[in-house]
Amino acid sequence: MAPEGDRVALFAKTFTAADGILLRGPVESALSDLGEVLRAEGVTALFFPEDDATAREIAEALVPFGPFNLTTGAEIRGGSAAVTAGFRTAEAAIAETGTIVETSGSGKTLLPGLIADVHVSIVAAASVVARMEEALSAFTADSPRNISFLSGPSRTGDIEQTLTVGAHGPKKAIALLLD
Amino acid sequence: MEVNANAFGRNARKALLDKALQVALGRTTERFLAHRDAAVAAFPEFEGTRERASRIKLDVLDHLDTYLLRFIEEAEKRGAIVHVARDAAQAREIATRIARDEGVTLAVKSKSMASEEISFNEALQGAGVTVVESDLGEFIIQLAGEAPSHIIAPAVHKSRQEISSLFERHLGGPRTDSIPELVGMARRHLRAKFLSAGMGVSGGNFLVADTGSVVLVTNEGNGRLGTVLPRTHLAVVGIEKVIPRMSDLPTFLRLLPRSATGQAISSYVSIVTGTRRAGDPEGPERMHILLLDCGRSAILEGKYREILKCVRCAACLNVCPVYQSVGGHAYGWVYSGPIGAVLTPLLVGLAEAVALPDASTLCGACADVCPVKIPLPDFLLELRSDIREQGLKTPGEIAAMKGYAGVMQRAGLLEAIERIAGVLGQFFTKGKGIGGLPYPFSGWTERRDFPAPAALPFRKQWKIRRGVTR
Repeated sequence: MAPEGDRVALFAKTFTAADGILLRGPVESALSDLGEVLRAEGVTALFFPEDDATAREIAEALVPFGPFNLTTGAEIRGGSAAVTAGFRTAEAAIAETGTIVETSGSGKTLLPGLIADVHVSIVAAASVVARMEEALSAFTADSPRNISFLSGPSRTGDIEQTLTVGAHGPKKAIALLLD
Repeated sequence: MEVNANAFGRNARKALLDKALQVALGRTTERFLAHRDAAVAAFPEFEGTRERASRIKLDVLDHLDTYLLRFIEEAEKRGAIVHVARDAAQAREIATRIARDEGVTLAVKSKSMASEEISFNEALQGAGVTVVESDLGEFIIQLAGEAPSHIIAPAVHKSRQEISSLFERHLGGPRTDSIPELVGMARRHLRAKFLSAGMGVSGGNFLVADTGSVVLVTNEGNGRLGTVLPRTHLAVVGIEKVIPRMSDLPTFLRLLPRSATGQAISSYVSIVTGTRRAGDPEGPERMHILLLDCGRSAILEGKYREILKCVRCAACLNVCPVYQSVGGHAYGWVYSGPIGAVLTPLLVGLAEAVALPDASTLCGACADVCPVKIPLPDFLLELRSDIREQGLKTPGEIAAMKGYAGVMQRAGLLEAIERIAGVLGQFFTKGKGIGGLPYPFSGWTERRDFPAPAALPFRKQWKIRRGVTR
C-alpha cells in the first residue's frame, strides 16, 4: 500500500481533474478560501447532518465569513429558494479516481451531497485509500442501503455535447482535506 | 417499443439528407471518440482490465442461473422484492401491478434502455401513472415524443433552439440560447418531481450477486435522487447484468466511463442494496427489482451468447462509420450501432430486423474498442449467413450473390468479363465514372459515380508489375 502522503497527493490530483475544488492547509485559511467560494456561488444557507459534529463545527465556523444562515436538510427538502451548501464528513476518499465515498451506514443522511447546490465534503487524510477495491471491501459483510461514489460536480453533456454542471446534483464539489 | 428495423434503408436515406442531424452526429461521435482514446491512452492497465472483464462476463454466462439465484437471495434478504419477467407483456403487467399496489401516481425515472424494450412508460401511463424521465437527454426526447438516438446521449439530434422551444411549450420557460439556463430550467422542473414522486424508477448497470446490490452509474445525479428520495424504488434490469462479486465491480467501473465518455469515473456511482435500514433518515421503504429475460435466455443457449457481455457503453456506436452517418433512429428499435445490429435481430427475431446485419462495413473498429471484447463483426457475418439459411433474402439478392460467387470462382470467366468491361467502360464513359444507373443499382449511383472499369484490369497490371520487378 502506498504511504498516506502519496495517496493524498494522488487524490488531490484526481479530485481536481474531476473538476472538484480541493481546499487544505491550516483550518483558518481554508475556511476563508471556502467562504470566498461559497459567496461567489451566491450561497446563503448552510446545512449538515444533525449528528455530524465535524460538519457542524466547520459550518458554524464559516458563518462569520459571509451572509450565511444555518438551516437543516429537512427544511431544504421541504422546498427552499435559498442557494445552499451541504456539509458532510466523507466515510472515505479514493485516490485512484478522485472519489468521495458517502454511505447511508449507521443512519447518516445523504441530503448534503444530494440536494444542495454546493457540496462540501470533509475528508480526513487518513481516510484516503488508494483504490476502489479498498473502499468497497469495508462493506462486503453488511452493506448499507446506499454507497455513493461522488467524483466532481453533477454534470451533463446532453445539450449539444456541451459540458454543463448542476444537472441535478451539486454544481460545485468541494473537498476540505484535514490532516 | 415498436420494431421498425426493416425500414433501415429508408430511414438511413432520410438521415443522410438531414443536415442538422449530420452536424450533431459528427460532433458527438468525434468528441466521444477523442475523449475515449485519450482516457484509454492515459490508463496503461486498460488492456489487462478489458481481458479480466471479458473473463468475468464469460464466467457469468456459464453460470448465469447460479449467479442470478444468489443475487435474488441476497437482495431479498435485505428487503427487496425481486420479480422475473419472461417477456415484455409480462414485464409490463408486473410493473403496472407494482405501481398500483404501491399507490403511485407519479414516477420519476432515470435512464434504462431495458425499460425501452418493454415500453415501460406507455404501460404505466396506460395505468394512469405519470412517468417523468429525469436524465436530461431522455427528458428532452420525452417532451418531443421521440425515442433515444444514442445509448448515452439520447438527444444528440436536438439543437438548443429546438430544446428551448420544447421547454417554452411544456415548462413555460422563456426562450433562451443559453445551455446553462436550459439545464437550470430542467433542474428546477425535475427537482420538484423528485421531491413529490411516489416511486423512483431506475435501470441498473450491474447487479452484484454476492451482496444483492443494484449499481447505477450516472453523471447528472438523477439516479441518486431517484433512489434516495421517493418512498418506493423500482429497478428494471436485464438478467445479463449480474456480476459475481462486489470485488469485481471496480474492474467494470474502470472500463465503462472511459469507454463511454472518456472519464476516469462518472460523477456518480450509486450502489443500492435492499430497503432503508432501521434508523436511516431517508431511503425507500420498498424496493422492487424487475429482472427482464425478454429473449436473453434464448440468446444464452446459442452461438451469439457473448453479445450478453455488453455493458452498454456505446463506444461501438461512436466508432462505427455507419452509425456516424445515419444515427440511432435509422436502426428502428432501442439499440443502434453495431450492438444494435446484432442485438435487435436476436431479441425481436431475425425476420423483423433482416436489414440490420447488413448495416455494417465489417471494418472491425467496433471489436477494437469493445471493453468486454465482443466479436461484433463475426456476429454480423454469422447473422448474414443465418438470414440466407432461413430464406429471408429476396430471390434477386440470392441470384446476384450466386452469380457473383460463380464468376469469382472461375478465373478465366472473370478475366473475360474484365476485358469486355474494360473496353466497354472506356468507350461509354470516356474513363469517367458511371452515374444514373436504374434501380436496384441506383443505390450505388444516386449519390456518387461508380468508378469506370479500368482499361487494364488490376490482375493484369499485377502480373505485368511482377514481371517487371522480378
